[in-house]
Order: sequence, then structure tokens, then C-alpha cells
Amino acid sequence: MSGGRTPAVDAVIVAEALGKWYGEVIGLNNFSLDVKHGVTGVVGPNGSGKSTFFKLVLGLIKPNTGDITVLGQKPWCNPGLHSEIGFCPDYESLPSDSTGREFLSLIGHLHAMEGAALRKRIDEAAKLVVMSHALDRKTGGYSKGMKQRMKIAGALIHDPQLLILDEPLSGTDPIVRKELIDLTRSLYRDHGHDVVVSSHVLFEIERMTHDVALMYKGRTVASGDISEIRALIDKHPHNIIIEGEDISILAKALLDQPYTVSVAFNHERDGMTVQVSRPDDFFSELPAIVGETGGSVTSMYSLDDNLEAIFKYLVGR
Amino acid sequence: MDIKKAVNGIWALTLHSLKGLLLSRKVVITFLVTLFVVAVMGYAGAQDVDALYAGTNLMDVLILFFFMPVMAMIFGSSLIRDEIDNKSITHVATSPLDRAFAYVGYYLPLALAVSVSMILITTAGFLSFFVQQGVTAAAVEVYLELTALVVIGAFAYSSLFLAASVWFKKPVFFGLFYAFIWEGFIGSIPGQIQKASIKHYLRSIGSEWIDHGDISEFDASSAGGSAAVIVVLAVFLLILGACVFREKELS
Repeated sequence: MSGGRTPAVDAVIVAEALGKWYGEVIGLNNFSLDVKHGVTGVVGPNGSGKSTFFKLVLGLIKPNTGDITVLGQKPWCNPGLHSEIGFCPDYESLPSDSTGREFLSLIGHLHAMEGAALRKRIDEAAKLVVMSHALDRKTGGYSKGMKQRMKIAGALIHDPQLLILDEPLSGTDPIVRKELIDLTRSLYRDHGHDVVVSSHVLFEIERMTHDVALMYKGRTVASGDISEIRALIDKHPHNIIIEGEDISILAKALLDQPYTVSVAFNHERDGMTVQVSRPDDFFSELPAIVGETGGSVTSMYSLDDNLEAIFKYLVGR
Repeated sequence: MDIKKAVNGIWALTLHSLKGLLLSRKVVITFLVTLFVVAVMGYAGAQDVDALYAGTNLMDVLILFFFMPVMAMIFGSSLIRDEIDNKSITHVATSPLDRAFAYVGYYLPLALAVSVSMILITTAGFLSFFVQQGVTAAAVEVYLELTALVVIGAFAYSSLFLAASVWFKKPVFFGLFYAFIWEGFIGSIPGQIQKASIKHYLRSIGSEWIDHGDISEFDASSAGGSAAVIVVLAVFLLILGACVFREKELS
């Protein structure tokens, strides 16, 4: 149940036979996708075209072939459309010499907000992403998770209909991941924003939505409800890198779990590769296990080559 | 977006960029250039020279015609390009502010930052020379006239180097070529070709304003005509840069 917004158009994004290439490098190739209202996950390994698709949605680049409409409008050279879109990029984009409040104030002013209304909205957005306590600190001193939250606050500041979140969980620890996943779900459920979120970890997307588009080499491999392909994916062991301090205790605890196939430390022993047979269970239980063992996990990410193998399997190669 | 909202957006971007320019590491460059100018003009001020003639020539050559384009290049050629390269431009490019207006929001703080830096350098140079030689009314008049030229130059050079920062992937190479080779060499050789430099028109305006030094003897077209050329050039480059920025793919 959404938070009461009235959808203006049936489909949020309609991409038809999109093609985009950079010299000899193909970003998107005959890419078609309809994004409906709600939370939609876009999953694919690095280089699959997720960011290119988002840039086309935002009008940062123009397609070489095909058509794209966002909320019923063409995005290229259409700045007015940005009033309805909020974007959280996957890269570092916060001005490090500004405080969170200054950053949000700049974004608000660029969206023609001002005065008491802007100040109130900054506090609301910061509260929504649980960053009220750090609003007046320089963003250069933020942790990775705090930066992700502040970027999401920047995307939310003008209360857009559509939110584009590009890899919002990238490089964050398990606890922050869980919080960001809960936040993403609540953005539609409680606040009515349509959300398009990308990741190269299918199991994380699945915790946010079952409406998923799988991308591989610039094309849509599959789209719709994830449940049908999930069984196929579960057959493949999943490799996850975990980095942090004192993770040997965590490794022992993970080896006791029935879904853990193996654990291998790196040379510096500040990171390990965990191979699991049931990724869903692993991602579900990891925050509790980390809490029990008392270790410190600084980052966690899925190996792309593993996802690459899954996608090759899905496309029958 | 209506005009009021566009003006608000330009103003917000101007304040943000101005803070970034004046509080960045480029301040160190301004400080070092100021020190150099103070050292050179301080040394010259201690010599037995015709104060107005020598002082005007030093400020003319050292500040207006050498450091003026160099400082504009340092500030301008990296402003938008750095944001494109580090992708912080995303927040501007995904806002409802038309990119052509956003471009103005970069130009104004650039021209202001270059003006502030050059006024600081000019003032420091003037004081280090004329405090020793005597701060006369004529000297103050020269200082004010050169300061006005510096401000005009700041707006003209800023329009050129900002446009270069959206045209070229490595605008600093264009900047180095223009500041050191084009302005320094082409702008100094006899004949009509020297009119293809901003320096020529600044010197032309200066020849009518300033009564001392070599610049007062510069044979050129009228100050009004030169001022018009500079204004038209700056506006043309501003519009051209804004159009290029508006149509630029930000991948």
C-alpha cells in the first residue's frame, strides 16, 4: 500500500529498443523495459549497463537508438522533469568541504526551495535517513554508510515521485545494509515514492522487492517476479567478500552454519571469502551473527564473477 | 522553471562555487603570486626610478598582462571540468535548473573569484612599490585605473577559460597555450594579428585611461570600441559555453 500519491502515468519508465554506445564500447543494446509503480530492482554485474540506463533515465546522456520516456516525458534536455526525480549515484558525489546541511541546502535551492520550507524539509529528509545527528558535520568525515544516507537524503529533499538509487548498498557493512534495505522499502510503502534500485547482488534486491529486471551485457535478460528464477540461482554457490577487524571469530561462527560451504582468508587476514549455498539465509542471518561475535565488519560485497556465471547460466551460454 | 526560480538557482550555485573557489587550494596560488609580486615590486620600489613611469609599467606588465590571464586560467579551466571529472556535477545536472542557467552560476563566481584574487595581488604590488616611492594622488589614480582593467579582464578571461573547460577534456593545455603563447606572443607582435587577443583591447582601454608608462602611448582604437569588443566577446563566449554545456552528455 503506497503512501497516498496518485500515479500520474501507468508506467514510470518505458524504454523501447534503447541503444547506447561509447565509441566501440556498447553500453546498452536493444534494451527494453517497462518499470511500473512501486519498488523495482535492476540487477546485473558490473558493465551490464545499469548505470548507462540510469543516465538515460536522468537525461545525462541521449540514446543512439530507441526511445525512453520517464513519467510520460522524454528526459534528454528536459530539466523540468528533474523536479519529479531524485537520484542517488553509486559514486562519491558529496562536496567534502560542506556540511550535510549545506549540501542539502544547495540541492534544495537548485530545486527552487527556500526559506522555512526548505529548512523544514532538510530536517525531515535527514530524520528519514537517520542523519539528523550529523547534519552539521562536514561530509568528508562521514563513514561510507553515512554518505550513502546523505546522498539518499539529497535525492529525497524535493519529495520526488521517482527515486533512482544506484547501488546504494555498495561497500556498506551488514547492519547499514539492513537499515538501507528497510529504508528503501519504506520509501514506497510509507511515503509513496516509486523506487528503482540497482545492485549486483540479487539477494539484496530480493529483500527490497520481487519486481526485478536482470541485465547482462546491455540487455534485459529477464524481468518480472523474481521467484521463478530464484530456484535456478540458489543452485549456484555464492561468493561473498567480508572485510573488517577481528573477523576470525566471525569466520568460525559462519562455518557452523549449514549454508556455509567454505571460508578462505586473504593474505592480510583482514578479509575473507565466504562461499554459501543458500545466500538468502546467509544475508538474513549475518547481522545477528556479527552482533553475537562482536567483530567489526567494514564492508561486504559479492564477487562479480560469481554473478557473471549465474547470468551466463540464465542466458544459456 | 520561471525566472525567479532560475535566479534563485543561479544564486545558490554562485555562493557554493564562490566558497569552493576562494577557500580551495587555489588560495595558496594567489598567496604565492602575491608574495612574488610584492618581492619584485618591493625591490623595484627601493630603486632610484621615475616612480609613476616605472610603477605603472611594472603593474602593467607583471600584473595586468602576465598574471591576469594566468590566474584566470588557473581558476577557470578546472572549475566545471573538475566537477565533470569527479562527477559532483551530477547534483547540478539532475536539478530542474536549466544547464544554461547553471553555467551562469559557474561563470559569476569564477569572475568574482578571479577579480578578488587579482585585486589583492594588484593592491599588494601597488603598496609594496608606492609606499617606498610615495603614495601620491596620481599613483592612486593609476592604481584605481589598473584595478578597473583587472576587473574587466577577469570577466573577459573567465568567459574564455570557462568555455574551454566545457569544450576540452584537458582544458589546462588550451589554457597554457592561450595564456603563455597566444597572449604573450601573438598579442605582442606588430600588425593586425595582435587584435586577436584580449590583451590588445585591455591595453587599448588602458591607453585612454592611464596617463603614465608605456601603456599611455599604446596606439589603438578607441576605449569605447575596445570595451564594446570585450563585452561582446565575453557575452558571446558565455552564450557559446552555456549552449555547449547544455547539450553536453555527462557520462
